[in-house]
Amino acid sequence: MIPSAFAYERVQTVEQAVRALQANPGAKLLAGGHSLIPLMKMRLATPTRLVDISGIRELRGVWKKDDRLVIGALTTHREIATDRVVRTHLPALAEAASRVGDLQVRNRGTIGGNLAHADPSSDLPAVALAFDAVFDVLGPEGMQTVPIDGYFLGPLVTALPENSVITAVSLKLPPSGTRSTYVKYPHPASGYAVVGVAAAARVEPDGVIDFVRVAVTGAGDVPYRAQAVEDALLGQHVSDDLIREAAAHAADDGSISGDLFASEAYRRHLCSVYVERALRKVLSRG
Amino acid sequence: MSEVLKPQFTGARVTRLEDARLLRGQARYVDDFEYPGTLEVAFLRSNRAAARIQSVDVTEALAVPGVKAVWTFADCPITLPDRPFQVGQPVLARDEVRFVGEPVAAVIADSRYRAEDAVEKIRVQYEPLPAVVDSRAALADQPRRVHEHRPNRFLHKTHVTDGFNEAFQSAPHHLELTFRWNRQTGVTMETRGCLALPDPVSGRLTVYAGHQSPHGLRGMLARLLKLPEHQVRVVVPEVGGGFGIKAMFYPEYVVVAEAARRLGRPVKWIGDRMESLLADAHARDAIHEVAVAYDDEGRILAVRDHVIGDTGAYAFPGFPGAVGEANWATEMLTGPYKIPHVSIEIECVFSNKAPLGPYRGVGGPIGAQVQEAIVDAVARALGKDPVEVRRANLIGPEDFPYHTPTGKVYDPGSYGESLERALALVDYERFRKDQEQWRAQGRYVGLGLCVFVEPSAMAESEAGSIPYEAVTLRMEPSGVVTAAVGTGPTGQGHETTFAQLIADQLGIDVKDVVVLHGDTDSAPFGGGTGGSRSGTIGGGAAIRAGQALRRKLTQLAAHLLEAAEEDIRLEAGKAFVAGVPARSITIRDLARTAYTDVARLPEGMQPGLEVVARYQPPGAATYSNGTHLAVVEVDVETGFVKVLDYVVVNDCGVLVNPMIVEGQIHGGVAQGIGSALLEELRYDENGQLTTTSLMDYLLPTAEDVPRMRVEHIQTPSASEGGIKGMGEGSLIAAPGAIAAAVSDALAPFGVFVTELPIRPQQIVAWVQAAKTEAQAG
Repeated sequence: MIPSAFAYERVQTVEQAVRALQANPGAKLLAGGHSLIPLMKMRLATPTRLVDISGIRELRGVWKKDDRLVIGALTTHREIATDRVVRTHLPALAEAASRVGDLQVRNRGTIGGNLAHADPSSDLPAVALAFDAVFDVLGPEGMQTVPIDGYFLGPLVTALPENSVITAVSLKLPPSGTRSTYVKYPHPASGYAVVGVAAAARVEPDGVIDFVRVAVTGAGDVPYRAQAVEDALLGQHVSDDLIREAAAHAADDGSISGDLFASEAYRRHLCSVYVERALRKVLSRG
Repeated sequence: MSEVLKPQFTGARVTRLEDARLLRGQARYVDDFEYPGTLEVAFLRSNRAAARIQSVDVTEALAVPGVKAVWTFADCPITLPDRPFQVGQPVLARDEVRFVGEPVAAVIADSRYRAEDAVEKIRVQYEPLPAVVDSRAALADQPRRVHEHRPNRFLHKTHVTDGFNEAFQSAPHHLELTFRWNRQTGVTMETRGCLALPDPVSGRLTVYAGHQSPHGLRGMLARLLKLPEHQVRVVVPEVGGGFGIKAMFYPEYVVVAEAARRLGRPVKWIGDRMESLLADAHARDAIHEVAVAYDDEGRILAVRDHVIGDTGAYAFPGFPGAVGEANWATEMLTGPYKIPHVSIEIECVFSNKAPLGPYRGVGGPIGAQVQEAIVDAVARALGKDPVEVRRANLIGPEDFPYHTPTGKVYDPGSYGESLERALALVDYERFRKDQEQWRAQGRYVGLGLCVFVEPSAMAESEAGSIPYEAVTLRMEPSGVVTAAVGTGPTGQGHETTFAQLIADQLGIDVKDVVVLHGDTDSAPFGGGTGGSRSGTIGGGAAIRAGQALRRKLTQLAAHLLEAAEEDIRLEAGKAFVAGVPARSITIRDLARTAYTDVARLPEGMQPGLEVVARYQPPGAATYSNGTHLAVVEVDVETGFVKVLDYVVVNDCGVLVNPMIVEGQIHGGVAQGIGSALLEELRYDENGQLTTTSLMDYLLPTAEDVPRMRVEHIQTPSASEGGIKGMGEGSLIAAPGAIAAAVSDALAPFGVFVTELPIRPQQIVAWVQAAKTEAQAG
């Protein structure tokens, strides 16, 4: 539980960070450090250099831009959870951020670090998937954008280009009148999602669902959009039976896996239970 | 003359004298002691459950800067003693590794960082062997013997009461249940560790260690290092939890002490959490195959129990864990119930898992769960209320002293009374009505009971076979008393409770008694803390020592006040003549006189005020008791269990400090919730431990532990002060109560819990199976 030797470098700009990554093949970015440092202490990660970007001020903050909510990569979970704009426009994101780890983790951990680390049990990926996140990324080739679709390649593996730094994450705001939520079964020790579900939906006055998004994290190697659930709901009249039948498809789009705490069969079951619970929250009337 | 008139402190909620330093972070644990030039040790541990060591290459490790030595068994050829079974563990593996986590090599370097770097550079060639992980297969030496020279089964014993067969066979009803407790461990917040300081001038070795038995540790170290006992000083500073785990003697201590001696430098090792989960004493891991014979009224007539215990690869010196577990569980199998006949068979085996040792309650939690589940199963089979079946079987006040079918003699307790009071606290009749309504609404709430009997203050325990404790008292010229004790507290508050007992004997303030412990240079020889012995045996010694010092003070006061000794009272810091409070002298003046004004002493009285007293209780054990009652709600969709309410009615004889007793109970219930619902050390089929961090070995958090209601009954023991031990009862009773509550909650699905911990996915599987069956039917 003692890391191997590493160099440490604190940078002031994103450009410096990119150059530091290019110059040191074994280097890793350090933002909040709450995912990386534990891995280093177990010697599961042995970076030769840490490039500390936590002091780059311009990477913090939340603002609305057209139909998207833009969040600086170094914005902490706690800042997101308590941000008025987020709470108003994307309550599911505020809920998810408020349930990451514990207070200490939320005070240090950042949205950029969280999504770059791509822990398959992390909370935020479900919300990022549900709201079509796009990453602004600075790499050796300059600025580019990376969509969330196809971003999660495997546990701790993403489609981020090499030697690049996420500068911001933007989420597409749902149509007005949409309700959204994030529910999860927290792992009893880590608090990570054994299963976590982000859901958003809008119901027309006649009871027809005209917008729905459901994404699941924690259940398998990568978080996923529950397309089969969405398909079962879109354009249908809300009813108890409809919700139950749709939730039965919660695991269809995922590659569900088991671990020490929860077997694959149990996780599949929990996917349906939590999708159903999330849907009841966003589809209940009144 | 031997009676204290008005105990001012005994029984009072005296705030713990230890807490100021603990709560302010000013307490010092082993790792807080820093000496210049200290070297640190990191161990290379086996990553195989079973393998022959073909070679260990330490060349690269030795080349790491700062590394002073890299040792294998050849460099430190010491083996822990194990006379009965001839399987002593080499302090570093010799030729063969037998469990994952077994120390194979030790790196001694100028920092832990460099030591760990060097550990990664040691190359070990292993020839893998099949791992013995299943205890039933191990019984038949399958797939092989853990120790080539002897069968895996190292203990087989039976105890059958006369007339068992007839009683069992002629009973009108029978049922059978198989219980399994998975491996668990007592997770101490402070991991194990030690620091050894050689004194090159005297050749003396000082060893700092978190340990429950300072003198036991000293004796073992002296023996293995071949030093005379006085050349080893053990200092136990603050200890962050022991729970039995730290009563054992571990190989790392030998390596550290030997390294300090041979390298002539202070040497320290502090285990990390992974080492702690791999190689601290494990616990539980037993199967109980039980058969019960009972009559129409639910009276239990005979119980058969076949125990298979898995002790892991080696037997801890003096405490092979599986034997301790099985013995306790079966000796207490009938608990508070009048069950006339038992037939017990115990088989213990070696396996390729970490050695089993004591964890709070030892076999008690298993025994209590089995005993309570038997009662609940009988109630369910007969369609009776589980409380009614308990009432029909409980030992009554008229039955004491009660001779159990396993040869124990219970001193008086309050079995039925504790049950009735616990039921009243939750309004049991009303609960059963509410439960029906909740079930109709799809809420599954259950109530579980555990009426427990806790043997305490035994002549033998994991703290060794020292049936007595000693206390030395020295009243300083200032009138302040320094007490030195041989117990090894790890958070139990001895500095407060012993001070309470002593202060009452001497009529002084509790704050004027300073209790020293843990340093073998100042403490009288003692057994240490374990087996819930400190309060009764150590407390008894404190009272006896206080009485001895009181006699001397009384003698002196009588002389100075020109009164008869029997008329002298000690109270509120003064000695005075009964009925004439004006004729008095302060105890401080008495103390000063005893040391510095010796001309005024009565003829023949030795100057000074120092006594030593040893105390051994009259009985082989004294039995605490009580009732735990848990109310849980089960979310049948997720399998999540929430404890809604928790009630404890406890009887540990005369209370020294109710607040400390309640603190013990709170902690034990928390551990019991962990035992029942969360904690499991899981080995895979290759003998790999898969739960090596607290992300996988699940512990209860503050969120999982309910606010509990605790009430006391005081049925005194025959021991000095009427005290009974109570350190383990809460963990003995809580798992059984929680398990019973879950069974009760899920009764509509036909669920009856027999395996602990209860995992959420298991609950979901049970419920789904019951629903499927209901649909099919």
